[in-house]
Amino acid sequence: MNINHLEDKALWLRQECWNMVMRQRKGHIPSSYSCVEIIVALYYGGVARLTRGRPDAPNRDRIIVSKGHAAAVQYPVLADLDYFDKRELKRYTQPGGLLGMYADYKIPGIEGISGSLGHGVGMGSGFAFAAKQNNEDYRTFVVLGDGECYEGSIWESAMFAAHHNLDNLVAIVDRNDLCILGRTKELLDLGDLEGKWQSFGWKAITVNGHSFEELLDALSLIGTTSGKPLAIIANTVKGKGISFMEGRPEWHNRIPDEEQMKVALGELGLKTMAET
Amino acid sequence: MDTKVNNTSKPKLMRDAVIDTIYNAAKEDKNIIFISADLGAAALDKFRKYLPGQFIHAGISEQNMVDLASGLALSGKKVFLYAMAPFITARCYEQIKSVLASMNLPVTLIAVGVGLGYDHATMTHFTTEDVACMRALNGIEVLSPSDENSAIAITRAAINKPAFRYIRLERQPQRHLYRGNFTNEVEQGFVHLVEGVDVVIVGCGYLVHKALLAKESLEKLKVSAGVIDLFRIKKINAAGLISIISSYPAVVTIEEQILDGGFGSAVLETLSDQNVSKPLKRLGIGDGFDVVNGDRDQLHELYGIDTPNIVEAALSIIGT
Repeated sequence: MNINHLEDKALWLRQECWNMVMRQRKGHIPSSYSCVEIIVALYYGGVARLTRGRPDAPNRDRIIVSKGHAAAVQYPVLADLDYFDKRELKRYTQPGGLLGMYADYKIPGIEGISGSLGHGVGMGSGFAFAAKQNNEDYRTFVVLGDGECYEGSIWESAMFAAHHNLDNLVAIVDRNDLCILGRTKELLDLGDLEGKWQSFGWKAITVNGHSFEELLDALSLIGTTSGKPLAIIANTVKGKGISFMEGRPEWHNRIPDEEQMKVALGELGLKTMAET
Repeated sequence: MDTKVNNTSKPKLMRDAVIDTIYNAAKEDKNIIFISADLGAAALDKFRKYLPGQFIHAGISEQNMVDLASGLALSGKKVFLYAMAPFITARCYEQIKSVLASMNLPVTLIAVGVGLGYDHATMTHFTTEDVACMRALNGIEVLSPSDENSAIAITRAAINKPAFRYIRLERQPQRHLYRGNFTNEVEQGFVHLVEGVDVVIVGCGYLVHKALLAKESLEKLKVSAGVIDLFRIKKINAAGLISIISSYPAVVTIEEQILDGGFGSAVLETLSDQNVSKPLKRLGIGDGFDVVNGDRDQLHELYGIDTPNIVEAALSIIGT
């Protein structure tokens, strides 16, 4: 896999997210940016088995972004896969448009609704269980937030998936260390997430969530876990690439002003909307 | 109506009748999946033994049970979830709303022990709000059978037309009220069980049996009461129900629910939405009810929803 190509894709995705969110001034840039590399690795890193233009292909891999407030990060990718008309990106959150601030299941390529936290691993377990039962070899990937791991339902689902040996299920925890009110470490410590997933019976590994090499190495463990589901704790930075947003909880759903926009675009090496 | 019956044979537990019905269908349809949150039944033992691949023990984890069901349903499975009434409703309400209602998935929630069914278990096991909270869900169908045969027929319909449903089962066996296949009645959503003149009593589940007792007491007082088993609480067959209720001067509704938003409210809303104005008394549980030891009928007495209370409400509303 050509890492430079993935770096280009990550830059492209940050640009597309930026354009969508800033055009309508609605959305969550920092939460989306912390998982850009995770999304690019899954969709463009030769991991997910998908068919261009066929969001309903029966044996497609299922990808769920359980942290639904970061849905915008998936939309440009799904449009790029020809799942829907790219012009929809410009109608994001607009009346009559397909794409909302949170992901609805009616959007081609969105496997299940998200927005409320704590559902993705259970829903993903349903996909993975059905695959085993039907002797189908598709895999299910769930991207969830570390703050989402506060939800007890995540751990009910984790226990279930391990008991049923769902080694066709992968949970990728976007560990950006922040929730709305501050740092998780200070507010309510999530502790050793790798150890927690491991103790629930998963194969768990921690990686740098902005490193394609590390993400792809971890994702290559699918199928080698002796029947265990795979949890990848991806250490990330919320708002990655924008200095004044990085690690700053107050930016969770704030939209920058004109001056801040210029700074951000300069740092990211992105174009203004007018230039794209 | 030929479905009414005076059958003295020993009725089965509703849960056994319902699970047997699903079991028979599941033998032919590998896509039927039955999930229990640690609630058993004699019929379930057979299901687990002979169809282990179609049975899942969710653990005492109702939240995951519902999330899991969403993934299975999105994968083409016909999913039946099964648990004690309080835990398959309010305990995982947000999950039901977010991943079942929001995607209108064909998942059937089967609750055992609705209302005050778990009498001696008291407050944590009562569902005195399940009608209000479940009927508020987007696109759900809420069904509350009063005997074994109606429970079986409702289950068959749920198997034949998978949809987002909530089926309320009584914990204790109920005297037979119906025979035959009940298919037309399922379609209709209610049964005008007894025809009367002066007042009509509307209930569902166990309360229909109480209504029948009240009707007999009223008869001795020369009051002719009708009884309606309104087992489909959502969506109520408004036209059908009103065509029956219109012939009565007054209505009494009975329920084991806090009155706000419950069964009686559903009936009132239906009448009001159709511009039908009738004297109507809702009998149910008031705010501030307390935990006491007692069986279901003793609780009815204590909470003012027992047979004599129904009689009293009927007499008062017709002004005798």
